[in-house]
Amino acid sequence: MNTNVIDYYIAVTVSAIGVLQLTASFGGLRGLLFLTSPLATRLIGLILPLASVVWFFATGTRNISDHLGGLNSNQVALLFFLGNLTAWVLTVTVTSIVNSGRLTDPQQAAGLSRLRSDTFYRALLHSVRRWAREWRTLMKPYFSE
Amino acid sequence: MANLDEAIFLRINGWVGSVPALDHLVGWLVSDYLASTVLGFALVVLWLAGGDDDTRMRRQVGVLMALVGMALASWLVFVSNGLFFRDRPFIDLDVNLLFYRPTDSSMPANSAAAFFGLSSAIWWVHRRTGMALLAVAGLHAFLRVYAGVHYPSDVVVGALIGVVGVASAYRLKGLVDPLPAMAVKAARILCLA
Repeated sequence: MNTNVIDYYIAVTVSAIGVLQLTASFGGLRGLLFLTSPLATRLIGLILPLASVVWFFATGTRNISDHLGGLNSNQVALLFFLGNLTAWVLTVTVTSIVNSGRLTDPQQAAGLSRLRSDTFYRALLHSVRRWAREWRTLMKPYFSE
Repeated sequence: MANLDEAIFLRINGWVGSVPALDHLVGWLVSDYLASTVLGFALVVLWLAGGDDDTRMRRQVGVLMALVGMALASWLVFVSNGLFFRDRPFIDLDVNLLFYRPTDSSMPANSAAAFFGLSSAIWWVHRRTGMALLAVAGLHAFLRVYAGVHYPSDVVVGALIGVVGVASAYRLKGLVDPLPAMAVKAARILCLA
């Protein structure tokens, strides 16, 4: 397989993990954080994207045509999506494990807001169960003025 | 007009070689990867950030509109490439090239259309981030000229197409209006929004 494909995918995945940590830290989404220390989290959030950019460009010739082994814009977009998806799955899986004992008193909130005080998989389970139970009531606002 | 375009191009591209270390960095900055990745991450941050649910909803709808606007801009570039072809500067002129030799039309600049489209869509929902990203898009467009792959008018036309694409996306939003918000609410069930 084209090394540019693998390298770009790895660089995006690692960067995305850092970006997720940085955003979750500033946004107070404790359920997405690996560490409890804000300073360490933000340091990781900065180092991972910067290191992966330097690694990506320093380890190969990247300015090459897509006819000669480079990536076209559709491939870049697809790999960016896949890298972010991988980073998201890794982040929510690891943080759901490490935070399961820390976040024990979740607030009544929906969606991402719930991740301020709950782990992702627990919040997801809560949300899906609630929808299965109350879907008629919850659907009403979608179809009202 | 074409002479002025060439003159500005030659002036800017003539600076290549003044600071070799800078040229190496420019090689990274004008690549197909860096600017698009930075702008993509800006969308990720905008999607996740936001204080209350209403603010987050407005930003997330903005992210969806940015993607639609960028797709429209890319489509406009695709159509214009079918109608009009302009040779790259390195075909006609003696150029200091810091990039590979693309074979598609020089005008309009596809990257400028996509980046200005995305940045202006973000400006619509978050002024400060939008201004920062417009600066990134502007720098990228300038560096594409510096690197010898576009004439100045190519990136200006590309930028205009990008802004038109986003403005059209916001016009179309009125026609499909509850749908973007409904998509965000559906993602909220899965704790993704």
